[in-house]
Amino acid sequence: MFKRDEAVKPGVPTDGPRAEAPRSSGSDMVNIGTIGTIGKSVVIKGELSASEDLTIEGTVEGKIELRQNVLTIGANGKIKASVFAKAVIVQGEVHGNITATEKVDIRDAGSFDGDLASPRVAIADGAHFRGSIDMQGASKPADAKPGDAAKAAADAAKPAAALPAPAPGAPVAPAAGSIPR
Amino acid sequence: MLKWGSRRADGPQVAPAAPSAPADAIVTTKVFQHFLTAVGHQPSPTLLDLGAVVGSNVSFFGERFACKLHVEDLYSDIEAHAQRGERAAMAKFLATRLTQAPDSIDGVLCWDVFDFLDRAAGLVLAARLAGMVRKGGALYASFGTTAVELKHYTKTVVVAEDTLKYRVSPATLTPRTVLLTRDIIKMFDGLIVAEQVLLKSSTRETLFRRP
Repeated sequence: MFKRDEAVKPGVPTDGPRAEAPRSSGSDMVNIGTIGTIGKSVVIKGELSASEDLTIEGTVEGKIELRQNVLTIGANGKIKASVFAKAVIVQGEVHGNITATEKVDIRDAGSFDGDLASPRVAIADGAHFRGSIDMQGASKPADAKPGDAAKAAADAAKPAAALPAPAPGAPVAPAAGSIPR
Repeated sequence: MLKWGSRRADGPQVAPAAPSAPADAIVTTKVFQHFLTAVGHQPSPTLLDLGAVVGSNVSFFGERFACKLHVEDLYSDIEAHAQRGERAAMAKFLATRLTQAPDSIDGVLCWDVFDFLDRAAGLVLAARLAGMVRKGGALYASFGTTAVELKHYTKTVVVAEDTLKYRVSPATLTPRTVLLTRDIIKMFDGLIVAEQVLLKSSTRETLFRRP
């Protein structure tokens, strides 16, 4: 039952809980280590926590905590929960809020309704998304790379960059048709 | 014999149609660039995008601003209403559709959503958005200037701060609502027009600011 199968990759629907082999390809968020799987016939209501990477192909309602690990919601996965994880990959359906300390990746077949907080967010074309994305933990302009800083400086040198907030009562001066391109 | 200026009587009467937008058309923009500059004055700004989610846009805004982004795809709502033949109900729908608090948003991306709304719905949406924009905040929108039947929605992909890519997707046929500049200014009561540029595509790209 818990026999390891080196050929099986996470995300493949399974019929029950089992341990699977590590995934060596894909995004940079994948850890090398044991990845647990919750099969598509499994329904969990309540709080789910783990200290290993986890793939969910079943249904989970409640709360999911994998603070130090990667959570993958497989194509068959249906989540109605608050999720806390290091990184989250969404290939199935999620209703609820996701908080990830590293990255959230919503794949093309993924569907997400809720609020999402993560410094890095990737949403594939074709993915469904409704809600908000909080990336306020992402690198601020002050943390930008030297190349970015040079670009920002070049931007600042442009005349248009100095666009102050208009003063109250300032005359409205639309320039319709003034700059055809 | 030809009569100059006379209309052909035997030809089919074809309604004017929107110029077919080429797929993935790339345009340069100054107004959007200025929108980014305006929003960038706020630390960790909060943005509201009224278009369908675009992954690369999310990455762009996240990397540039470390912001909070609300995605409210009004185009899907418009399409759903159009398919049900309930376009007139959009005004009532929009009165409660957006739940963001007043004075809570630093930047609003309307894209061309007002082209697809009738005047009543446009007024309701503009009033809601104007109330949401914080002091010093900005609102970016474009308005078509030709009365044509719209056959597609345009998803805008931010390529760079001065470059946008337009991706089209089919839409239920909709007569474009053409607004005059003065009507646009009146709609967004509380905001002022900081910049407006008429593009070759007969689209008026507009940047509003809250003083």
